[in-house]
Amino acid sequence: MRVGPSVRQLGPFRIEVGQPSGAWTLAVSAVAIFAAFIAAGGIFWAYGVNPIHAYAVIAHDVLVVPGAFPEIFRSTIPLLLTGVGLVLAFRAQFYNIGAEGQLLAGAVAATGVALFTPIRGPMTLPVMFAAGFVGGALWGLLPSLLKLRLNVNEVITTLMMNYIALYFVSWLVTGPWRGPSVRGFAYTDQFPLSAWLPLIPGTRIHWPTLVLGVVLAAGCAVLLARTRLGFAIRVQGENPEAARYVGINALRTTLLVMLLSGGAAGLAGVGEVAGVHHKLLDPNQVSLGYGYTAIIVAWLARGQALATLITATLFGLIYSSGDVMQVSLQMPFRVTSVFNGLILFFLIGSERLLAYRVRWAPRRAPADPPASAAAPHRPSGEEQWE
Amino acid sequence: MRGHVSRWLTSAVVIAVLLAFIPMGYAQQKLKVGFIYVGPIGDYGWTNAHDVARRLVEQQLPVETLYVESVPEGRVEPFIDRLVAQGAKVIFTTSFGFMDGTVAAAQRYPNVIFAHASGFKRARNLATYMADFYQVYYLNGLMAGALTKTNKVGYVGAFPIPEVKRHLDAYALGVRAVNPQATIQVRWLQDWFSPPKAKEATQALIADGVDVFAFTEDSPTVIQESAKKNLLSFAHYSPMYKFAPKQVVSGELVHWETIYLDFLRKVLAGKYSADNLQDVDYWWLLAEKAVEVGAEPGMMINPLFVSRLKAATVKTADLGTLSVYDLVQRRIAQMSKNPVAFDPFAGPIKDRKGVLRVPAGQTLTVAELTSMEWAAPGVVGPWPGEP
Repeated sequence: MRVGPSVRQLGPFRIEVGQPSGAWTLAVSAVAIFAAFIAAGGIFWAYGVNPIHAYAVIAHDVLVVPGAFPEIFRSTIPLLLTGVGLVLAFRAQFYNIGAEGQLLAGAVAATGVALFTPIRGPMTLPVMFAAGFVGGALWGLLPSLLKLRLNVNEVITTLMMNYIALYFVSWLVTGPWRGPSVRGFAYTDQFPLSAWLPLIPGTRIHWPTLVLGVVLAAGCAVLLARTRLGFAIRVQGENPEAARYVGINALRTTLLVMLLSGGAAGLAGVGEVAGVHHKLLDPNQVSLGYGYTAIIVAWLARGQALATLITATLFGLIYSSGDVMQVSLQMPFRVTSVFNGLILFFLIGSERLLAYRVRWAPRRAPADPPASAAAPHRPSGEEQWE
Repeated sequence: MRGHVSRWLTSAVVIAVLLAFIPMGYAQQKLKVGFIYVGPIGDYGWTNAHDVARRLVEQQLPVETLYVESVPEGRVEPFIDRLVAQGAKVIFTTSFGFMDGTVAAAQRYPNVIFAHASGFKRARNLATYMADFYQVYYLNGLMAGALTKTNKVGYVGAFPIPEVKRHLDAYALGVRAVNPQATIQVRWLQDWFSPPKAKEATQALIADGVDVFAFTEDSPTVIQESAKKNLLSFAHYSPMYKFAPKQVVSGELVHWETIYLDFLRKVLAGKYSADNLQDVDYWWLLAEKAVEVGAEPGMMINPLFVSRLKAATVKTADLGTLSVYDLVQRRIAQMSKNPVAFDPFAGPIKDRKGVLRVPAGQTLTVAELTSMEWAAPGVVGPWPGEP
């Protein structure tokens, strides 16, 4: 990693290499997304749909059709909560790939409260959220302990914990938690009404979870920028040796980060079961891969907790557009994945460009043109490369 | 932020209004019918069968169809919203998991006609329908019992839910009716579509000595895998004869179009409306031609196996001693009548633990069939939720 900007001259352009500014990041990302739209347009065209017509239909049906606009935020909610938690973990260089499992653990804990405790009335939902947070946090705890005590690679352990969570939920809904009222299908009974999250009227947005997500994003931004723990996280993430040298307790920092990260994913799980399904069901239906998509959400946010508000919404928009492509344009569902993939391809492909800033800075022509003008043309700016 | 969004909205509206004229050119007055599928239309099973039926319906009736595939259970309602916004007046939701979402949507759109496959909740604008295979599985079982040499037949099941258990039990009863020594070895996948898991389960069953296979999984994997060892199999849901023409004996085929055509004809004739579906429940079987015995339409039994089935004899209480081939034909004839002259679940039937499940002289009601949890005698293997 280069420290400090370096400058190159390439023909009339000056290229600076260094930390990208926020505006530059946005500009490059916007160009990348636009390029992805053009590439996807090629696919629409190949499929026999006029790309301009397609984008007009998508814009209309995603944003204008009554009731469609709020749908964007339904998938934003779990991505936001999970994404914020992952930003925190990634800042501490803890590669938590286990958000999916932590989300499921939160969903299980909330289901346990809703169906198998006597808590009813207005206290139900707060207790469910608390239980979900604890569930997700505990699910993230084991890999962090393994990492801290035995130096086991957390990428492997967090990923594997996802499968354990998946099969655990599967076992619960086909086994001990299967509801007597579902005629043998693999679901729990429906939650009592006091365990249903309220919706914004006329939409399907369970707003308490959305509010939690926004608050958490803001809270994490403050935590990272303004608190002692945030400082410890940043130092440890950027240079663990330095962190140890200045006496930052790696154990405590990593544990706290993982508790928060897992807990946030757990909250997302609560939102899904209490706001969307109102029961526990097949794990692949509880979470539509949100824990994995959130990795991209966090990655695109580039370590900024508040930026997850934008990236999670972007994904909500992409999902919604995919739905529209299926219904209004009658395209196959895989087109959503292709669309998704193209956008990511271009965004990640543009990553290298972020470090470069190109400025128009022509060099003055020397007063006395050298005799080498007739010599074979050398690539301009070559002398700058040594 | 707000100003930004509204500027976005305005420009989107302008574009949309301009382009709204394009589709208007071919706007039609045809009845719009929406289908919501749980899997991909290329799954070679459940969803594919519904989609084949959808295309037949569009050919035969003056309707326009829309479909959405691979819809997750939690998102059926938003997709119904979108279909209604597209002008759909009839919507079929084709998976049990869509039940609660469809019920909620039926309340939200009281003027739209809904029909939900395999569920049990109805409303004034919500009917239910199902084309069921249990009779066909019984017939497949009769053939499997006659063809097994190891006296072990295998069943690769998707989920241990009543629908699959009912089919497995019917299959087991068929096997045992011909071959009382035979056992039915079960493996569960916990998946409707998973070729890797199906492959693994098939290999495990082969290792256990199984030589005839039936299954509930939406791919031809079990057939292909068992055919590698030249073992026999029964196709499931789609015409799978071509995947192993020397090993596929017969199978189950579905004709959802019989239900869709009947339902939509009644909607078009004004007989069904969004007001009178409270008691409309299609439970269609062999007699209604909603299902068919065979691995290929029109091929009931692979000709390679006819002679072996004709050579095997069986003693029955009602038909005396006859060949298995003739027994299959007689049973099909009996079950193709309405009301049926034979039912696989005719009592007395005890489960594998010895508990009497169907008393003598009785058969099971549709509600009992759709909530079946017990395991038939001869079934060997795990049985989650066994009473």
